[in-house]
Amino acid sequence: MKALLLAWKNVLRNRRRSLVTILIAAVGCAAILVASGFALHTYEMLIEGAVHEYGHITLAHPDFFDREEDSPLQFGVIGHEALMTRLAFDNRVVDILPRVSFSGLISNGDKSLVFLGTGADLLRESQNRGQFFGLVSGSIRIPADKKEGNIYALVGAALARSLGARPGDSLTLLATTTSGSLNAMDVEVSGLVSTGWEELDKRLVYIDVALAQRLLMTDRVSTLSVYLKKLKDVEGFRADLLATAPGLALRTWQQQAFYYLSVKSLYNRIFGLLGLIIAALVLFSVINTLAMAVVERTREIGTLRALGTYPAEIVAQFMREGFLIGLSGVILGNLLTGAIIWSLPYFALEMPPPPGRSEGYPLLVSASLPLYVVTNLLIILLCVGAAWAVSRRAARNPIVEALGHV
Amino acid sequence: MTNLPSKPSVAQLPALHLRRVAKQYQMGGEKILALKSIDLEVPPRAFVAIRGPSGSGKSTLLNICGLIDHFDAGSYQLGDTDVGQLDERARTGIRRFRIGFIFQGYNLVPVMSVYDNVEYPLFLLGIGERERKARVRDMLAQVGLDAFANRLPDQLSGGQRQRVAIARALVKAPPLVVADEPTANLDTATAKQIIELMKNLGARFGSTFLIATHDERMVVHCDQVRHMVDGVLQ
Repeated sequence: MKALLLAWKNVLRNRRRSLVTILIAAVGCAAILVASGFALHTYEMLIEGAVHEYGHITLAHPDFFDREEDSPLQFGVIGHEALMTRLAFDNRVVDILPRVSFSGLISNGDKSLVFLGTGADLLRESQNRGQFFGLVSGSIRIPADKKEGNIYALVGAALARSLGARPGDSLTLLATTTSGSLNAMDVEVSGLVSTGWEELDKRLVYIDVALAQRLLMTDRVSTLSVYLKKLKDVEGFRADLLATAPGLALRTWQQQAFYYLSVKSLYNRIFGLLGLIIAALVLFSVINTLAMAVVERTREIGTLRALGTYPAEIVAQFMREGFLIGLSGVILGNLLTGAIIWSLPYFALEMPPPPGRSEGYPLLVSASLPLYVVTNLLIILLCVGAAWAVSRRAARNPIVEALGHV
Repeated sequence: MTNLPSKPSVAQLPALHLRRVAKQYQMGGEKILALKSIDLEVPPRAFVAIRGPSGSGKSTLLNICGLIDHFDAGSYQLGDTDVGQLDERARTGIRRFRIGFIFQGYNLVPVMSVYDNVEYPLFLLGIGERERKARVRDMLAQVGLDAFANRLPDQLSGGQRQRVAIARALVKAPPLVVADEPTANLDTATAKQIIELMKNLGARFGSTFLIATHDERMVVHCDQVRHMVDGVLQ
């Protein structure tokens, strides 16, 4: 304790210089925490988006993920209702959504365009996907009788714009059935949706899963998306499924979230490099400060050595000073980061849309205990390491030379 | 039957004994012989002055005796230890336990209070806090600075600083105290007080004093005075 007190007094010898160094360490610490926290928040958003889009686990025909279908639903799941009933009893499961993927032409009578359709339970789809199911206008309408009456569709906003369609307008879907013949279906546009991906919105059509089966003349579904209560249950549930549903292929959300994985890989490199640059700046700053302190205290080092202090004890004293500079830096840096995290929502700052997307996203920063522990330790270790590097040689200089230093 | 001479006990040994010690410096391309075959034997508890003009080699001799400099030839026995054979770590250990230093410029640590400066050598010895406190308080009382314990060195006069330096040198009761021009920066009255203080405390702790000085006021109080001229001890 006494040694730490002495170290603190030494840090305060040149207050302005130490304050600048502590501020550099604090800003460096805050910069790493904010930048990493931003990346973390982006990852969390992308994970959430991926989980909402695909479900925690997707079940499909064994060939569905690896082979191209020659005809619609060639690799569809047969008898999915029984499987859904069985899985619904598992406490970890929140919902199971069957989906039918199909494609064809959509026409307003004058103009026909290619569409990518999804047959799904639109209300549950909307509930499960939350903010990631962006209804731009109109509403989700379910026909009272799925065999008769009006057929409603949700159409991508960009596709509707191309076709000049608005909610309430009629369009015709033309698709190939599972037997290879053509089938058509008139739909009423009940709403326009946006996924945030411009290219996808130009092709997107959502209809009820039963209507999609009717259009394709099948009772199969393409996939079953299983939504779990907790993200951490994924691996356990997947292992159980492998045992209970051996005839199906399984994909976790991670295996399908290609965008998340590429963004994460890119951000890890960008922010990793940024962190390295910041760490180098902090290191050089602390080295500069402590090197000046060592030169100024050369005579004192000689005196302490003459009194019987070992070189390692002199170095340890400077390392304690480096530790205190680092500790002060991280305390200030954490407070600064806290203030930034707390104030960001009030400014409602938006990031511009990433390439290929049509919507931006809020600039927010997440906090994570492991990130803070690692960053704080890194800054403190840099300061201690810098102190070790600059004092090591000075502590071993000849005592007579040190005492004669002016 | 022959009576063999018995090995002398530590108490009978000289405090320090230098035999034909030489020291050479390299200054630019020139070699300077700072010490030329020095022989010096100082008995325990002695108060010995080394006199001589500036550049005569007094400080170099003190530095070698205080183990903060190396000699090139000869031998040096400190008590029962042949220090010429020791590595740097062992020399540091001897300085820590057995040698006290008083510098001309006081060399107090400016961020440490008077108390902390005097306590530091005891801290290095690993002495417990209670005993450290008692010894520092006693030593500060001895040098008349008990009321100044919490002051920083730059809040003291030159004489007071030198008292602190003396207290720091003697607080661990070292067998040898090396003092380099301890009264050089002091006025006559203060110098006299400092000399008396060193003498009294040296006697109390049983320390041997080796003092480099050209101060006549100091010389008259010493048990032994040796003159040094051009690196030769006369």
